[in-house]
Amino acid sequence: MMITILLMACITFFTRYLFLHRALPFKVGPKMQQFLSFSAPAVLTAIWVPIVFINDEGINLDWQNPYLSAAVVSVIVAYKTHNIYYTTLAGMGLFIILS
Amino acid sequence: MLPLCLAVLPWGILCGSLAVQNGFSALETQAMSLLVFAGSAQLVAIELMAGNTPLLTILFTTLIISSRHFLYGLAIRHKVIDQPFRWRLPVSFVLTDELFAFSHHRKAYRTKVRLIYALSAGFSFYIAWNIWTLLGIVAGSLLPDLTHLGLDFAIAATFIALVIPSVKNFATLATVITAGVVATLLKSQGFQLWLVTAALIAMTVGYLISRWQAKEEHTQ
Repeated sequence: MMITILLMACITFFTRYLFLHRALPFKVGPKMQQFLSFSAPAVLTAIWVPIVFINDEGINLDWQNPYLSAAVVSVIVAYKTHNIYYTTLAGMGLFIILS
Repeated sequence: MLPLCLAVLPWGILCGSLAVQNGFSALETQAMSLLVFAGSAQLVAIELMAGNTPLLTILFTTLIISSRHFLYGLAIRHKVIDQPFRWRLPVSFVLTDELFAFSHHRKAYRTKVRLIYALSAGFSFYIAWNIWTLLGIVAGSLLPDLTHLGLDFAIAATFIALVIPSVKNFATLATVITAGVVATLLKSQGFQLWLVTAALIAMTVGYLISRWQAKEEHTQ
């Protein structure tokens, strides 16, 4: 198991380090840079939305789904306050009450 | 950065307790958080390793889940590349989703103060992540099933808190909506490359809209 963990560590580190390696002979141009400026919202959203909508049976659009109502409240709080504490507290609080 | 350290608490506990309950030793569980330091890759790998999945499948899955870091590295390359190796190495080690979400300042990584700021943030996530994993190891060996408490919602709440305030124009809004819809559809179909595919499609949509808007403004 330790071997697997070590190999996994090499892979995650490789993905993080590769493009910060100076010997890679390229520059990221302004167009590429603009494209990449959308990577944070794209990747983070692609991670959190499926957590909310997918359960063991598949896509769940039911309003009784506590993930969904708590996520809606989190989005509203995040939009209004721009505050990480309030957003996670409101979201987790409601989620725990509902589930 | 403190709120983010706390926000990964449920996730770390989930990781620690899931591993222990799947037959990992405390040492292996902690080593995973110390060396791999990637929540989503760890969670998936724990389930795979518990199911006696072949090594190559585990490693390939890790690569797929981690491949979003290629995008992060590319996106901050121009800011970091002039720094000496002794700075780039630790920055890349702690280049998590959370740290990347804080990398958008024009001067991020470019001055000594900004570098130290980024590294303190990055390594405080690292320390927090490992303390929460340890808590999870303890909780997982004392309490019965912690893994169905919906601790994964904490990840969603944290990422909502990171993403929503950054939606300041139509192009970003379109990116976010596309990413959410495409990722959900692809993942529910069991498509392995759902995360990177959804991200690339969404980034393309955002990019094309921002280009189109710039052209409109130019012609007016």
